[in-house]
This record gives sequence, C-alpha cells and structure tokens, in this order.
Amino acid sequence: MAAIECRSLRRDYVRGEETIHTLQDVDLDIESGSFVALMGPSGSGKTTLLNLLAGIDRPTAGSIRIDGREVAGLGRSALAAWRSSTVGYVFQLYNLVPVLTAYENVELPLLLHPLKAAERHARVAEALEMVGLADRHRHYPRQLSGGQEQRVAIARAIVTQPRLLLADEPTGDLDRAAAAQVMDLLARLNRERGQTIVMVTHDPSTAARAARTVQLDKGKIVDAVVHGSVA
Amino acid sequence: MNPVLRPLPFTWRNLARRPLRTGLTVAGIAVATFLFVFVESMREGVRRATEAGAAETELVVYRRNRFCPFASQLPQSYERSIESVPGVRSAVPVKIVVNNCRASLDVVTFRGIPEGHYLARHLEGVRMRSGSLDEWQTRGDAVLVGAGLADRRRLRAGDRFDAAGVRAWVAGVFESDDPQDANSAYAHLAFLQETAQRGGTGGIVTQFNVQVDDPRRIEEVAMAIDERFASDQFPTSTRPASAFVARAARDVVVLVSFAGIVGWASLVAVFALIANSIALAVRDRVRDHAVLRTLGWTELGIAWIVVLEATLLGLAGGALGACGAFVALRAAHLTFGMEGVSIEVAADPALAVVGLALATVLGAVAGAVPAWGAAHREIVQGFRTA
Repeated sequence: MAAIECRSLRRDYVRGEETIHTLQDVDLDIESGSFVALMGPSGSGKTTLLNLLAGIDRPTAGSIRIDGREVAGLGRSALAAWRSSTVGYVFQLYNLVPVLTAYENVELPLLLHPLKAAERHARVAEALEMVGLADRHRHYPRQLSGGQEQRVAIARAIVTQPRLLLADEPTGDLDRAAAAQVMDLLARLNRERGQTIVMVTHDPSTAARAARTVQLDKGKIVDAVVHGSVA
Repeated sequence: MNPVLRPLPFTWRNLARRPLRTGLTVAGIAVATFLFVFVESMREGVRRATEAGAAETELVVYRRNRFCPFASQLPQSYERSIESVPGVRSAVPVKIVVNNCRASLDVVTFRGIPEGHYLARHLEGVRMRSGSLDEWQTRGDAVLVGAGLADRRRLRAGDRFDAAGVRAWVAGVFESDDPQDANSAYAHLAFLQETAQRGGTGGIVTQFNVQVDDPRRIEEVAMAIDERFASDQFPTSTRPASAFVARAARDVVVLVSFAGIVGWASLVAVFALIANSIALAVRDRVRDHAVLRTLGWTELGIAWIVVLEATLLGLAGGALGACGAFVALRAAHLTFGMEGVSIEVAADPALAVVGLALATVLGAVAGAVPAWGAAHREIVQGFRTA
C-alpha cells in the first residue's frame, strides 16, 4: 500500500482579483519507506505540495491519504496532533528557535508527547547522536555552522520517530561538504529506519540521491524518474 | 507534561534569555505598580482618617474660624462647661504645638494633656513598645512618642529631641492604630503651656477632645457645645473627629483624590507596556510560532505561550513594584501632617496584593490580542511573513 496517495490535488491562491493555480489536479503515490525528490523550476508548486503533505497548508480540492488516513479533512486540532505524531519537517533555513540550545530545540516536539523527563532526555540524546552533534547539545544556533544547524533541525524532525520525513531544500543554503553530510544523513535515515522521505530540491545531483524523482512544472507533475536504490 | 504547564520551559527561556527586553519591561511595570500601590496607600490613609464610622464617639472642640493650632486658643476652664453638656461623657483639654502648620511629610505634633486620669483616658488601648507611663509621670519634660513619629525620627526611650522650640525627653514609645496618636508626642499640658512660645500659655489650650455617650447623638451634642459658647469671647466649632481631620486636611484630601487618577493611569501604563512588549515579541517570533505549529503545537497552545509570557511579565513587574512599595512605605512611615492633624500613608499588605493581582491580570489581558493574532495566523503565511 502506498504511504501517500494524492488524488486530484489542487491548491489555488487568490491575490486581489487574480487566482493563482499553484497545483492543478496532482495525482501522486509514494510507497512506504521510499525516498522521493520533488524537482522543478521556481513556482512549479514543489513546496506547496510538500506543505500540503505536511498538513501545514490545506488543498483547495482533492484528497491526501497518508497511511490510509484522509488528512485534508482533519480539523485544526486533529491535524496538529497528526503532525506531531506522523510528520518531521526539515526547512531550507533550518528555522531553529534562536533562544534555545541545540538540545532544547530538539526537545521541543517531545514536549507535546506524554513522556517522562528521563525518556525525553534519552530520545533527544539519541537524535543528537544520530546526527553527530551530541557534543554540541549546549550550543545555541548562533554558535553552530549552517551544516550543524541543519543537522540539529533534522534531529528535531526525527526525534518523535515520525513515519514521514519532509525536507524543503535541506541543502539549499549549505556548501558542498555540508550538503553531502546532510544528504548522507537523510539516506541513512531512509535506509536504516525505513522512514518515508519526500524532499524538495533544485539540484539534480541532490535529487539523484533519492530513489525516485518527481518533476513538477506549472503546478503539474510532468515526469517521474526512478533511480533505483538510495545512494 | 501537563498541557497548561507545557509551554512554561519555552516561555521561561524566552524571558530569561532576552534579559534586556525582559528587564526593561519588568522595570517599567514595577515602577508603574509601585506608583499605583503608593497612591492607593495615600488614598487609603485619607479614607481611614476621614471616614466616620457608625460608632464614632469623639468630638473635637476647636476655636471657631481658626484653622491652625497656633491660632486656636480656648480657655482650659471650658472643660467643666463642656462636661456639663448632656450626652458628654468626658472632655480632655489638649494643647497642640506643631513644627509646621502647613502640609508636610514630617510634622512633629506635641499634644499636651493633663496628667492622671486624663492620660489614662486619652491613651486607652495603646501598647507600650518601650519605656513606661510611670516614667512619663515622674518627669516634667517627658513625652510619650507614637511609634510612627519615633520610627521616622529614630527615637527611643531615654532620647532627647528638639522640635517646634520644645526640648523634650522620651519616656516611652507606644503603638496605636490611630494615626493621630501614632504620629504625636504626648507631653504634660503644663510643660507645653510654659515651653511653647506660640499659641498662648498658662490656662490656654488648643482644643478639647470630647467623648459622647451615644454615637447616634454625636451631631446633636456638637451643636449643644457650640451653642453654649456662641456668645462667649471664645466661640467654638465642634465636629466629629473624622470630620475635623477631613476639614483640617482638606487640601491634602483633594490632592490625594487627584493623585488617584495618577494611580489608575499607572495601571494603564502597565497594560500599555506589556501589550507593546508582547506585540513586538509576537511580531519578532512569527517564524518561531510557525515552526511550533509545524511541530504539532495547536493554536490554543501558541495563544497560551503568548498569554503566559505576558502574565509572567505582569507578575514579575507587579511583584517587584508592589513589594517595593510596601517595603518602602513600611520603612518610611510617611505621614501627611497639616494644622496639627496627621494622615498616615497606609502600608497595607492588602493593597500590595491588589497591585500585584492587577498587574498580573492586566498582563494576561494585554497578551490576549497578540495571542489571538499569533494563534490564528496560517502556518504558511507565518513562514512567508518572517
């Protein structure tokens, strides 16, 4: 069964008297445990599609079923609870909270879960260990490099052990070496933890690390390429 | 974690790790709360001194059309005539000498009263903090000093002090709930009549403090006293003690009433400070809130984070200001004195609690509108705005 099923997905934005059709009748299936890259020029609807999959935006029409559950119709609170348990999101610009340390940033999503302090601590420590930043847990975002910040953001996204990891240009603001580290980390998460990963990217070499690339243009899926196993 | 307490670590870190913004906001709230508690303490002091209770039994007999103790001169011999008025239980002749007849925060009031049963009657119910009544009886220049005046002037039993041309020896310090007592020095009437350079000497007193049998007949007795001396050389004006204080302190009463506006305005300042601080904080944290929502925090959770921060600011500033005002008032023993009467600025813990509660509630209310805005901003719009 597909982990993600999108049917006739549409997202329109109204600006003044103009309606912008950002996504038009998108049908997309993503298998559980796969690693998919969304590519396309600016304005093609990649990030909009990712936001819809994450439940942080709502479609104008169509359906999104994730693990068999219709997400598009969930109420606000139910959607928030679903995001908390199912989705991890990695942003291009990291979006760490500046007044919190790396440890505290990673801990944030866990505050919503009924965990004891010791278990919360163990989960944060494990996530930071996973991204190779256990020794930087007391550092504030301003004290970290861009690559380290992004790895903390990944730790924050995986600390709740979500089934779905969504990444919006996770290497877009990084140099080549840091980008390679981040991509290695995502590939490892997909391989070792079996997490379904959907990643938006502009960079063909980054997209090539995924098992499959979905090409969007003007709000429509125009092509899909299967690369084989995750590199 | 309890949903109500869930945002507490996040909110606390936001406050603690932005020390300049938090410090300045809390300081502003503290100053405004201090001002509010201070002004309300003045108003409470005026209210206590001037509001007549249903059981009021004391009259003050003063010289008609005289407003200062130096000008009010009545023959001590009036005592018997006053005591013969139906409804009068007792009359105590009092000579008052003050170092300043105008409004002041440090007025020293000497009250000269006859020895013996007069003293016992007049200081009934006071508690001696140090020294004794016996010591007062044995020395002609002895004074019993009220605790308010003693604390203000740092006087203890055995000290000597000068004020208003009177050099006196402190025989004891007593505590009284009546601000007129607490801020006076009780001297022997004869000593004060001889020593004081102004306000008449031997056989002349400033006023009579009269006790009536029935509080319901207090006005009737006052009129009877004034009628008795209406065609005398020294006509009188008799009022209930609270009304007497209110008349003597009328300028201060008006001023303090006006200051009440300042007190409430300071609460508006508390509200504006918190609202401004939180509105700016919410604007700066549009991205943070969008991130939290992405991580699964609900709209209500975001609103609670904002309201909690505003409430904590109000609580911290309110606690600092209210406690500061209470401690300062307790330490300073401020008393408005004018024309021989005293109005004590009340250092009442209940007023500090009211100040703290209002600052906290205003904090919560001031955070409500920014909280609503933060909670209802769409997540995607939040990332775009930031």
